[in-house]
Amino acid sequence: MSTFDMVAVGVVLAGAFVFIAGLIAILVTAQRRPYGTELAPIKGSPSRGVLWAFTLGLAPWAKESARIHWLAYIRGAIFHIAIFVGAAYLIATPWLAQIPEPLRLVLAVLFGIGALLGLAGFWIRLADPIMRFLSTPDDYFALALTTLFLASAAISAYTIEYLPAFWIISGITLAYAPFGKLRHFIYFFYVRVFLGLTFGRRSVLE
Amino acid sequence: MTSTAVTEQNKMDLAREMLAKLVDRRVLAALEVCVRCGICTESCHYYRSNPKLEHTPYYRAEQVRRVYRQFLDPVGRAFPGWFGAKATADEALSKLAETAFASCTLCHRCTFECPFGVETAEIMRVMRSVATATGYGPEMLIEIAGAAIAKEENADLFREIFLEQVKELEKEVQDSLGSSKAKIPVDQKGARFLYVPLAGAHTIIPQAIIFNVAKESWTLSMFDTANYAVFLGDAEKAKRIAMRIIKEAEALKAQEMIITECGHGYTAMRWEAPKWFGRPLPFRVRNIIEVLDEYIRDGKLQLNPSTNGEPVTYHDSCNLGRKGGLLEEPRRVIKAVVGDFREMTPNRLHSYCCGAGSGLVTAPEWTDIRLEAGKLKSDQIRQTGAKIVVTSCDNCRFQIGELSEHYGLNTEVTSISELTAKALV
Repeated sequence: MSTFDMVAVGVVLAGAFVFIAGLIAILVTAQRRPYGTELAPIKGSPSRGVLWAFTLGLAPWAKESARIHWLAYIRGAIFHIAIFVGAAYLIATPWLAQIPEPLRLVLAVLFGIGALLGLAGFWIRLADPIMRFLSTPDDYFALALTTLFLASAAISAYTIEYLPAFWIISGITLAYAPFGKLRHFIYFFYVRVFLGLTFGRRSVLE
Repeated sequence: MTSTAVTEQNKMDLAREMLAKLVDRRVLAALEVCVRCGICTESCHYYRSNPKLEHTPYYRAEQVRRVYRQFLDPVGRAFPGWFGAKATADEALSKLAETAFASCTLCHRCTFECPFGVETAEIMRVMRSVATATGYGPEMLIEIAGAAIAKEENADLFREIFLEQVKELEKEVQDSLGSSKAKIPVDQKGARFLYVPLAGAHTIIPQAIIFNVAKESWTLSMFDTANYAVFLGDAEKAKRIAMRIIKEAEALKAQEMIITECGHGYTAMRWEAPKWFGRPLPFRVRNIIEVLDEYIRDGKLQLNPSTNGEPVTYHDSCNLGRKGGLLEEPRRVIKAVVGDFREMTPNRLHSYCCGAGSGLVTAPEWTDIRLEAGKLKSDQIRQTGAKIVVTSCDNCRFQIGELSEHYGLNTEVTSISELTAKALV
């Protein structure tokens, strides 16, 4: 293992540590906040509501907004799928040599598409005056990090020699995630559960 | 430091304190999850009627989010420029109050159009609370909420007038049914229903006719169901207003509280009040529409839909439908009492707000705003070709009546109870 490789391993492990510590801090902070438990007698089904929130409630055909912004919606969906697969890929990278080459090529294509869609995100954010006005440096930095994460994942899946570079970028991304907008991935689950519980209980989602 | 500066500092401290108290887990998640992707833009009736930055859901929420970052988020406080945290001053607070009260009807439509499900309405509700606590609550809403509390404080004074009015209304019910046995019971202990109306005969006479025909055991509340403190985000006042009726129901040992066709009144009592008091209410709460649906299902009412022969469309009140879960019940009743029912598109969960929700209908200075925001609803109504618009909320009813006049729709607006009473054989 070269010095560069060792540095890369150090960076990704340090990033993972910060990420996990940050994740715990976020969860503890969120859980400390009060939660207005619904006490009214039930009319619908909270569990069916939660199921709806993670299935039909996300279906693009059920949303007028997705029909209007179908390109942005599809871009977002594929981009996020690529990131989640990328996270799983990062965990699997110590055994990358054992992953069959055709599968690595498929992953490289997925991550490559994800990276291109990340770049498209810059265009969308900059082209629309309202979004440009509301975007913060954090928005651009987070997008740049995830785009680099996917690009480096694509390259490392295609050429294993670039794996240390992917680890370094992953380490930086992981370390930043709990502090900026990337932490929205944790709250996504909260929001969907609350939505399902509240409106499922009220029988809005039947 | 001048006294004005001191006052301003006090306001900021209070705003921070309120925000810290009111940002619960649900609101925190709503504040944190938005990625400003812009997909929700057209989901807002304000934006559709007048497309501008201030009318996008994410712009509104972002204004509050930036204050939250400054007040409550340690990372935002450490790097305000990077994360868009915003130092809040008196002027900004006043603007935020205007946004929360006049540019969002808390209709929740954007929540179901957002890929994540951001509850911008919940963020705005918290902002309303902060604004009210810091002295930026709209005067008219404060006065109406205050009047509701005063009515309880002077209950004996109001009782005499109330009983006289009920006698007059009872005569109308008797004339309509051709029976002197028809009654509007008041203070009837042990009645199955305590029926809570609004201030207006149209929320008493048709319902009294129906209850008499169905031979219901009921009694009329001396209070009305409106709770404008809910719109202010003033939890203490909202609790006091709700408690008047709860105490009345408890004293009369009513098994159920039946709320009239009032969107916020129903949602507040049915879904919010148990949370405010930290316990389930000791009686069942239903809306009059659920009772009508039950009567029709049980064959308690003989109806002739041809009495209401003109084309009818239904406007989903956001509180009753999207927030209250009454989406199918009103449709079942309407189909049983009218000959020609036509749906607006979109409807139910995806229905557009009429533009008057959450108190907008009360303040004259918001008339232009709400009429503009209601353009989309008026277009929807026009497309159905309906001559009658039915809605189960008095605020929606008032707004749609004004929209009809403003946009030349030439439609009549009525309630489900009125149509049902008219269809009785």
